Amino acid sequence: MPQAPRRDRAQLVISALLIALALFVFYQTQLIVADGGYSAIGPRFSPMLVAGVLLVIGVLLLRQALAGGWRNMEEATPPEPFFAPAFLWIAGGLALNMVVIGFIGFTLASALLFVMVARGFGSRNLVRDGAIGLVLALAVFLFFTRVLGLALPASPAGFF
Amino acid sequence: MEAVQGLIEGFGVALTWTNLMWAFVGCALGTAVGVLPGVGPAVTIALLLPLTTKLDATSALIMFCGVYYGAMYGGSTTSILLNSPGESASIATTLEGNQMAKRGRAGPALATAAIGSFVAGTIATILVSLFAPYVAEWGLQFGPADKFALILLAFTTISAVLGTSALRGFAALFLGLVIGFIGLDATSGQIRFAMGIEELYDGIDVVVVAVGLFAVGETLYVACHHQTLAESVERIKGSIWMTREDWKRSIGPWLRGTAFGVPFGAMPAGGAEIPTFLSYATEKKLSKHPEEFGTGAIEGVAGPEAANNASVTTALIPLLTLGLPTSATAAIILTGFQQYGIQPGPLLFTTQSALVWGLIASLYIGNVMLLILNLPLVGMWAKLLSIPRPLLYAGIMIFATIGAYGMRNSWFDLFLLLVFGLLGYAMRRWDFPVAPVLIGMILGPRADTELRRALQISQSDFSVFFTRPISCTLIVLSVLLVVVPAFLRWRKARRFGTPA
Repeated sequence: MPQAPRRDRAQLVISALLIALALFVFYQTQLIVADGGYSAIGPRFSPMLVAGVLLVIGVLLLRQALAGGWRNMEEATPPEPFFAPAFLWIAGGLALNMVVIGFIGFTLASALLFVMVARGFGSRNLVRDGAIGLVLALAVFLFFTRVLGLALPASPAGFF
Repeated sequence: MEAVQGLIEGFGVALTWTNLMWAFVGCALGTAVGVLPGVGPAVTIALLLPLTTKLDATSALIMFCGVYYGAMYGGSTTSILLNSPGESASIATTLEGNQMAKRGRAGPALATAAIGSFVAGTIATILVSLFAPYVAEWGLQFGPADKFALILLAFTTISAVLGTSALRGFAALFLGLVIGFIGLDATSGQIRFAMGIEELYDGIDVVVVAVGLFAVGETLYVACHHQTLAESVERIKGSIWMTREDWKRSIGPWLRGTAFGVPFGAMPAGGAEIPTFLSYATEKKLSKHPEEFGTGAIEGVAGPEAANNASVTTALIPLLTLGLPTSATAAIILTGFQQYGIQPGPLLFTTQSALVWGLIASLYIGNVMLLILNLPLVGMWAKLLSIPRPLLYAGIMIFATIGAYGMRNSWFDLFLLLVFGLLGYAMRRWDFPVAPVLIGMILGPRADTELRRALQISQSDFSVFFTRPISCTLIVLSVLLVVVPAFLRWRKARRFGTPA
């Protein structure tokens, strides 16, 4: 059955990104210092090979995307459409964690992350989430620093 | 017999109090993460890698392996009680297992899964003990060209044979290869692909990639696309023990499931899910009660559960004897070995015989522990399923950030974690398999090294890959695995007149 061509914009973008990655790898490979090695095949050889195959994969995916979409995607449809608030709460929580962890310490930053992720999953119970997040983060902090001897930043208050 | 001697030595190692304790910790943790959605054995072992600085190699690896096969036991609990398999190897179990639970037969379903896993795990461990030394001996003949060809075969099977699309599988693999290139090149001492960023000179850490792709990616996906989906946890009602009839109907599937799982694990192909579906289909055909299939036939739980346990156990053969991981989790265990400067491979059985036999002996012990943990105590693990999802995933994110940040206290690693998390989300959303990224990243640099070593010996003559019989066979096999299915699809499409 000939199908009407259905172009999925995400598929086009991802194919294009793979092609861009292949070109980027080509470009970066030229920057690898290849002289001075005693080996016949230098450090550029495999990256060139990989970039070449990646380019072919990207082009083939792009061709499929232009001609009716990628193959065998029937089961890949998610059960619900994209829910942006969840994405923003969680990705934002991780980004914020990255920024503040060095200033307010692991425990407080993790408790904040905990609250934001829980919010992303639809929890509205701020007090409960904050309390559980704080206790869990503190327990993890003490376990990793005291038992495993891993270095983690403490809060400005010092102890935790 | 080498195996008997080795096992005697191994039990001497595994039966010390310390190692028994670590085996127990591993099995219990493995069961827990197998039960919990959103976190799996690969992420767990990645998060435990910092322990390698505190523990001796044998204890740490015994624990890692406990997590690895313990997760298979725990996974069946989730498949049966919650109608959502934690991973692809448990899908077949879900089909009948959840139906049994809905009809008040959760107990026998859990029992046949646990006992079947035990039977399969133990038989497979016996086979590992018997055959691993021979495979290691065979592996000694491998030159650089053969090793390269073997990795090539693993790359092909992992990305092209498993999963829904060979093309997207290869895209994932090559992405992993690019990530693997970043940092210091062992052969030439040159820095590659660091883009002048100092944090990248040592390469990107496996922990960040694994935790980002699996844990963060999965969390984002579930939050964005399963937000309001209600999942009902079936209660365990009545006795968990199997009736005489249940036993009679389970024994055959256990043994046949094991027979399916063993070769699939042992081949450098990986993928515990294919044997589970083969087992399911076989049991459906052989059953005296085919009408029960779809509404809770015990054979459909017993067979696949035995199959997935057998295959994860025999997957240790290529890992230990050839240094070839065939799943994401096995790849992380390989990283665990490397933390101690140990390279799994043919020499492991001679240079680290106490460690490797201690590890194998711990598999026998671990399977007994898991049977006890998962049968009488199954109610305890089932309680994990009632943790509210916001709290569960929020907790997982705390562990994810500690795994990334704890290594060198750099915000850059948290940035990478977010990047790989977004990548993991996108891959899940547009149906790219994730495991090939990790396999490519971990095995890529080794393939590069062996390739250049082979060409150095042959003085840049590429025919070296085809004049050696082992290398030639493996390469031809890899090519056929890609070309034949593609050709068959093309011919089928032509015959039916649909566009290819």
